[in-house]
Formats: sequence, C-alpha cells, structure tokens
Amino acid sequence: MQRIPGGFAFLPWPVILLFAAPVAALLVSFFIVRPARPRWTHVPILASCAVIAACAIWILSLVLFQNWGLDLPLGGWMVAGDWLVSYGVRVDGLSASVLAMVSIVGGLIHVYASGYMAEDPGFARFFLAFHLFFLAMIGLLLSNSYIQLYLFWELVGFASYLLIGFWWQKKTARRAALQAILTNRLGDFGLFLAALILLAVFHNTRFALIFPAIVNGHYALVSLVGFLLFWAATAKSAQFPLYFWLPDAMEGPTPVSALMHAATMVTAGVFLLARSWPLISTVPVLPDLIAVVGAFTAIAAGIVACAKKDLKRILAYSTVSHLGIMVFGLGLGEVAPAVYHLITHGFFKAVLFLCAGNIAHGLHQPTADLDQVGGLRKKMPFTFVCFTVAALSLGGIWPFAGYFSKDAILDAALHRGPWAIVAGVLIGVTSALYIFRMLFLTFFGPSPRQKGGEHIHEAEPVMAVPVGFITLGTLLGGLLGHSFSTVIKSGWPVAQPIAALPEFSWSTFAVGMSAAAVGAGIAWVIAFVNPSFDWEWRTKYPALESALNSDFGWKPFVRLATAGVVALANAAGFFDHAVVDGAVEGAPRVAGAAGEQGRRLATGRINDYVWWMLAGAAVLLLAVMR
Amino acid sequence: MTWAVWAVTGFLFACGAAMIVLRRQLLAMLMGLELMISAVNIALVYYCSRYADGETLASVLLIIAIAAAEAVVGLSLILKVYEAGREVETESLQELKG
Repeated sequence: MQRIPGGFAFLPWPVILLFAAPVAALLVSFFIVRPARPRWTHVPILASCAVIAACAIWILSLVLFQNWGLDLPLGGWMVAGDWLVSYGVRVDGLSASVLAMVSIVGGLIHVYASGYMAEDPGFARFFLAFHLFFLAMIGLLLSNSYIQLYLFWELVGFASYLLIGFWWQKKTARRAALQAILTNRLGDFGLFLAALILLAVFHNTRFALIFPAIVNGHYALVSLVGFLLFWAATAKSAQFPLYFWLPDAMEGPTPVSALMHAATMVTAGVFLLARSWPLISTVPVLPDLIAVVGAFTAIAAGIVACAKKDLKRILAYSTVSHLGIMVFGLGLGEVAPAVYHLITHGFFKAVLFLCAGNIAHGLHQPTADLDQVGGLRKKMPFTFVCFTVAALSLGGIWPFAGYFSKDAILDAALHRGPWAIVAGVLIGVTSALYIFRMLFLTFFGPSPRQKGGEHIHEAEPVMAVPVGFITLGTLLGGLLGHSFSTVIKSGWPVAQPIAALPEFSWSTFAVGMSAAAVGAGIAWVIAFVNPSFDWEWRTKYPALESALNSDFGWKPFVRLATAGVVALANAAGFFDHAVVDGAVEGAPRVAGAAGEQGRRLATGRINDYVWWMLAGAAVLLLAVMR
Repeated sequence: MTWAVWAVTGFLFACGAAMIVLRRQLLAMLMGLELMISAVNIALVYYCSRYADGETLASVLLIIAIAAAEAVVGLSLILKVYEAGREVETESLQELKG
C-alpha cells in the first residue's frame, strides 16, 4: 500500500472530485439555480451524481487491479503538543467497495427522485437536502480518523432529519423526524465518547495509527471504546435496543426511504463496526454480544415484518432484519461476508423500495397498503419483474446476489455452534416468508384485494429506468464475490488479514435453500391455499396481533422510558426555573431594593452634600492623625 | 500664643463651615468657603513664623492664589445661574435629587 506524505497536491483527481462535485453542485443549486429556476434544481445535482459514480468506479478499479490505496493526512485541525486532531482521506478496500455501491445506487435513486418528486412543491428543497445526505455519506466513508468520521456521522443524521420530516405539514412526519434524530443522538453520544477516549489514550484518532497500536499493546480503556462503538452502531444501523426509529422513518418520501435503507444512513453503523473491527476483535465478549444482538434483531424484526400490511413498513422491518444479519455476521468475525451483504443488500433493498414507491405513486398516495394492491403483475409488468428479482435476492435464492452474501454469513454460522445454526436457519425462513408473502399478495391474486387501486398504472420511464439498472446490479452482484474478496483485503489497517468469502459448500447451500424454501412455502400457503388467512388471524388471535404490532412489547416500553425521561426533564426544568433562575433573578432584585433605599440619600440639596463632604474630611483627618 | 491662634482660626473655620452648611444662598456659601481657607492660612502663617519655614510660606501664597481662582470660578458659576433666570439659592437648585 502506497503512503504519501500529507498535502492536497498529492490527492488524486477522483478523490478530489468526490468532494468537489457534490459541494459545487450544492452551492450552484442553492445560490444560482434555485432562486432562478427551482424546477431545474436537480440538474447540477444529477451531474454531480454522475461524476461521483464515475470517480467511485475509477477508484474501485484502481484498488482492484493495482492494489492502490491512500491514507493521506491533509492538515491539522486542532494541534496541541503531541495531541493531534487532523483531517484527511482514507481509501482502502473497505471504503472503496462500499463507496462504489453507495454512489451507484444513490445516483440512480437521485434520478428516480427527479421523477417521483416532480409534482412536489418542495422539489428544490428536497434535492438540496437529498444531495447533502449523499455528500455526508461519501465523507463518512472516506474519513481517516474517528473525529472526522464523527462529524460526517452527525451530518448524515442531520440530513436524515431534514428528509424524514420533509412533509412537515404532517404531524406524524414531524414526530418521526424528531424520534429519528433523538434516537440517533443517543447513539452518537457513544461514538463521540469513544472518539474522545481514543484521543485521550493515543492523542490521535487516525485509524492507521491507532489500530496497529491496539492490536500490539494492551489498553484498558479500549474495551470500553469497543462497547461504545457498538452502542453507536445500534442506533444508526437500527439494532435491537435502538431500532425503533427506522420503521417510523417511513414518513419521508419514498426516495428518501430507499436512499436511507439501501445506501446512506443505516449502512453507516455496519460500516463503523467493519472499520473498527481491528479494535472490536480485541475486546473480550464484545464480538459474541454483537452476534447475539444481530441474530436477535434479525429474527425478531423478520417475524414482525410478516405481520405488517403497509408495503413500506414491511420493507422497513426487513431492513432492520437484514442489518441484523450483517451485524450477526460481523459478530461471528466474518467482516468480508458482512460487508458483502451490506453491498448486495444496498442493491436489492433499493429496488424493493423503489418498486413500492412506484406502486404508491401509481395510486397517488405517499404509501400503499396490502389491501389496496393485488394482481399488479398485469398492470405493472416492469415493476413486477424488478420486484421479483429483488425479492428472490432478498430471500437468498441462488443465483441472485443476496444468496451469495447471505450464504457466506450462514456458512460462518454453521461453523459456530448450535445457537448460531438455529439463528441462521430462522433468519433464512423469516426473510423468505415476509418477502414472498409481500410478493404474492402484491402482484398475484385478485386486483385489488379489498378496496381502491383500480386506476393504478405503470411508472413513467424516469422512474422505471433507474430501477432497472439497480435490478441489473442485483442480478450480477453475485458474480463479483471473488473480486470483492480481493478488494476488501486491500489496505486493511492491521497486519493480520481478514478472511475472504468462504468457498462454496454443498451443506451450506442445502441449508440455505431449504430454509428459503420453507419460508416461501408458508408464504405460498398464506397467499394461495388459504387466501383469507392473512386477514382472519388478526381477529382470531388479537393477543398475537397486538404483540406483533407493539414489537413484542418493546414499543410501549420505549414510550414508557421516554415518558420517564420527559418527567425527569420536567423536574430538571422545574429546578432550573425555581432554584437557578430564582438565584439569578433574586440578585438584581436585592440590588434594586438597595438602590431604592440608597437614592433617598441623594436629596439634591447642596448643603446636605457638604455635610457628607465634611464627614468624609473628618474621617480622612482621623485616619491621618492616628 | 499657640492656643490663641488655634482659638481664633478654629472659630473662623467653624464659622465658615457653618455658613456653608446652614446658609441657603450660594454667595453666602462661597463666602463661608473663603472664610475657611483664610482660617487655615492664618494658622499656616503662624507656624511658618514660629519654625522659620519658607516652604510653608510658599504654600500659603499658593493657597491664596487658589482661593482667588476658586472665587472666580464660583462667582462666575453663580452669575451664570443668575443669568439663566433662576434663584441663586440651594432650594431651587435640586436637579441631582435621586
């Protein structure tokens, strides 16, 4: 790996353009295009997306074919003695591969959004926030130190807040945006604390410097840092204790959901864990904890997704579940499969969301219900094909992209022990179940199933073509496994290499395929053999339905905990108002009263002042004579 | 001899102070002030002749000059107040009342 002494002059063009293009596009759009022609705001931004995608592919091919890499400090931001907070750029296999996925999928979602949002009065505002979101993610991937990563991490959270609450007229959207940013702040605190501890221990937070030191030495506080980093990742990547903001974040426009679930927001947490893997793997217990939390989240969210009726909500829980699979894989020590799944998931989840968006757009609604759709394969053939490919991929069916990445994680689980095998199989069954249920109920059967949706139409080309391209990625993504193994190893920050993707094994294939077949079979029974079942069980087993609707009681608990925090805040507010404000406001009141008394001494009569003067002179005289 | 000087100057000083404190007319107050200065000057003259001290005599001359200047300033202030059409009495000059 090539290392170059610092300075902007050494930055290669594709890296400069990755930052320069979006910044320039945002400035031009905001200051020039938006005031003059708000409907053209997307033009510079789409151009920037094209530049970003080209640069990302360029960088990826450099890494793949030339084992190229870069860790370039560009300058000191805060310097004090040997304490250094610097900014810079890091390009290695991990960031290059994720960056390529993010830029391709994100760019195509930008194109899609230019069609989806065309009628919206907030078109210009949407594109500016959307591209800011994208820029923040690019910066996060290319950061070379924890402090820099934290800044972009916060920027991602802030941009997501703007976008989830984009339709601010809706009360639910405002609430969802607030919930998302507050939950994320809870996790961000962990990352901030971790960065500060690392700064205190190493006087530096650059990955390339601290990871080798951690691997070779023993530092007591590093264990704490590992747990804090995982805490941060549970918020951003929607893992068990802090996952609940993600399904509610569906209140934003569909392109936002697609970008957030596929490319930018939720992948940041998994990326952080993969980036910090040299650190996390040295902490005892933590990898096992990560694996358990990931498996639990994956299974629980998968079961909940089976009961949802809103198309976007099913996909949201499926994202939570699949992030759980990635975290599960990471916890098993398999960085390469987890990141590979992150990438394939980015493709197929983007397709699924955009297809759901096409359906909702066809219905002229912000989102659609399973009751309103059904039999859409005839009315929306293109969307049907894309959705099917993505669903097969999500379900882990050979030879689609999702199979290869999921299979690699399943392979690791099968070698771990009984609990991991059970978790891996359950994950396979539930993900196949909810996605095939959604596929069958949406695109097969009577049309519409219950009410509305008679006038649904196929999406226009500007929204169909990007979906088609991402679907192509879903089809081909599985073939790139070998290249990915080469790329991910490039520039790994510590001497111990990470394992490549596992070799193909018939036993893993058989387990994965049969789990998917079981899930698909149950979905088949629900959809075709007993079509009324999906509606009837809700009335027959109300306790089960309320348990699934409340995420097994976790949502009410969170509400209760939030109420507790609010009560605590109110108490603190009362203390602040009564005691602190009382002291602050009391001081001037005392001074005012003293002044009120004191002004009576100023009578305005000169003779009285002379009395005071004489008294003063007498005091002075006494003082001198003593 | 010393006690006689102290008695005379103390009496004059007390008279001047009483004039300033008790009289309401600005002119009378100014005269009281001059009286106090003169009383101090008498005492100083006595002591400089007793100790044959030239420096004290110099400071007496300085005080006479300052008293003259003070009278000029004070009188012109009183004149200005008078020209402004106001009574030169402390009862009508109470702008500083708090």
